[in-house]
Amino acid sequence: MDSASAASPRTGVGAVRLEHIVKRHGSFTALHGIDLDVRPGEFFALLGPSGSGKTTTLRILAGLEPADDGRVLMDDVDVTSREPGERDVAMVFQSYALYPHMTVAENIGFPLRMIGTPREETARAVRDAAAKVHIDHLLDRRPGQLSGGQQQRCALARAIVRKPRLFLLDEPLSNLDAKLRLETRVELRKLQRSLGVTTVYVTHDQEEAMTIADRLAVFMDGRIVQTGTPDEVFARPASVAVAGFIGSPPMNLMQGEVRNGALAIAGVPVALDRPPGAEGRVVVGVRPGAVQLAPAGVPARVELVESLGDMTIVDVSAGGHAIKLRTPIRPPVREGDGVHVAFSPNAVHLFDASTGLRR
Amino acid sequence: MKLRTVALTGAASLVLAVWVVPVAWALLTSFKTERDVLAYPPVVVFAPTLANYREVLFGSASILPNLASSLVVSGAATILTMLFAIPAAYALARLALPMKRAGGFYVLATQMLPPVGLIIPYYLILQKLGGLDSYAGLTTIYLTFSLPFAIWLMVSYFEDVPLEMEEAALLDRAGRLRALWYVILPQVRGGIAVTTVFVFLNAWNEFLFAVVLGGNRVRPVTVAMFNFISVEQTLWAKLAAGAMLAMAPVIVIGLLAQRHIVKGLTVGAVKGARR
Repeated sequence: MDSASAASPRTGVGAVRLEHIVKRHGSFTALHGIDLDVRPGEFFALLGPSGSGKTTTLRILAGLEPADDGRVLMDDVDVTSREPGERDVAMVFQSYALYPHMTVAENIGFPLRMIGTPREETARAVRDAAAKVHIDHLLDRRPGQLSGGQQQRCALARAIVRKPRLFLLDEPLSNLDAKLRLETRVELRKLQRSLGVTTVYVTHDQEEAMTIADRLAVFMDGRIVQTGTPDEVFARPASVAVAGFIGSPPMNLMQGEVRNGALAIAGVPVALDRPPGAEGRVVVGVRPGAVQLAPAGVPARVELVESLGDMTIVDVSAGGHAIKLRTPIRPPVREGDGVHVAFSPNAVHLFDASTGLRR
Repeated sequence: MKLRTVALTGAASLVLAVWVVPVAWALLTSFKTERDVLAYPPVVVFAPTLANYREVLFGSASILPNLASSLVVSGAATILTMLFAIPAAYALARLALPMKRAGGFYVLATQMLPPVGLIIPYYLILQKLGGLDSYAGLTTIYLTFSLPFAIWLMVSYFEDVPLEMEEAALLDRAGRLRALWYVILPQVRGGIAVTTVFVFLNAWNEFLFAVVLGGNRVRPVTVAMFNFISVEQTLWAKLAAGAMLAMAPVIVIGLLAQRHIVKGLTVGAVKGARR
């Protein structure tokens, strides 16, 4: 890449494609054939619990780890066997990996120095990048003299200083405190928009992924179990595992049964806006927001009432299931009360009891 | 608590005394005349003289050539050791080599072997190669123990540098060599300094190999000191002056590198125990 392109956003480049990526660590298979398509300019999140293979996938994209099988394509070029430095990608590590013996300016300028960019041009690019993340007053400090948030920005500036075709971010916000995390999340999104660079973002925080990403892939046990926009994944989780992972609090999951064309939980019929499909045992999923306290329905007992100010979360137990319901108004119930819960018929998700897949 | 402090201070003083008294004694002796040295009871108050130092430096039995000899052997051994040890230690710290554990044990084992057991094979080998009483010969022999030691010490330092550092550098298009040069080496500067000092001092203080494998041409100062001990007499004051001169660089380097050395020792200890 020539350094002249550092001035303007790159558009139309940064398509990433993974084809059947397999990664093994000894006898353990970390990735079982990952297929993934990231579009140019997209903010794409790899979401999953720890150990699900999302970071390994990112590292394979970066070229830091070889894949045992499959291909990595960037802008339709096979880069599977290319060195990290030959892929035109920049990465922000979870630990930031700032060079402790260099100043902030030297850190940010390092990628340019390595390709022999002239001194004045580097200095200008460093100032620009630092200004974009608001650390241009800290250029002479060393990483050890920066706060966590400033270090994170420095790492970000080092990534954006040369305009790569792809940003790889590995849990970049996880070392920040809660408030800063929310602020930085918004800024990161704006920054990515203004730069227009394709971004692949690894996180285990579903809320983070939901708010920041254009699209996301949900990883479970070394497989992608669902890909889509945050809204799609939220509205139609592909499996019990995804349903139980996305949303805060996540979806309530209950054992149910379809018999004679009707759905029942603990023997109590549950209304649906559609036919329930094949007879047999199912897993019923309902988001906390779609559960109501009602005069009739599944009998339950109130376990806990948590007020969050603008909303209330009520934990009830019904037929051996712990169910959370979320409501904007504080219901007139107390712990220990016997109540009934009902579900909005159009918000009931059904999953196959044996495969866990959506039906 | 107080008693403990007193006891610890006492114990520390005792240990210190064991090390300091002989050096202090030698220091005093080096300023005495040979007569005062042998006076009994020992004289505490005496007229200090620099005659011994003059004699040792510029007299007929000057140790200047021997100091030069020590410097050449120690310097060469140190430079060569570090030249090989740094990349070797980096590789050992970073690569998953199949023989890593066995190799580590071998390195430790070389530190445990009594050097005297190797004297004869080394002598015979050097004799065959014509390396006796040569700088190349003695330096090579020094490498056999300093190189494993230096690698072993340096590995701990390299392992302390997070792997992400060079991954970041690789993504920043530095390549392996420049990642090592610009990113990794500056972070192990302390370790390099400590190891260099240790290697140099070990070589500088070495006596056994020097006396057996050296000769008239290559005679380090540790060996030359024996010129002052002969069948007829022992020139204690001159011996002490020579010893002081031989010790001077050791003490100066030790003071300069004190902070790093203490840290280096603990790093090596902890990491060595874990491996």
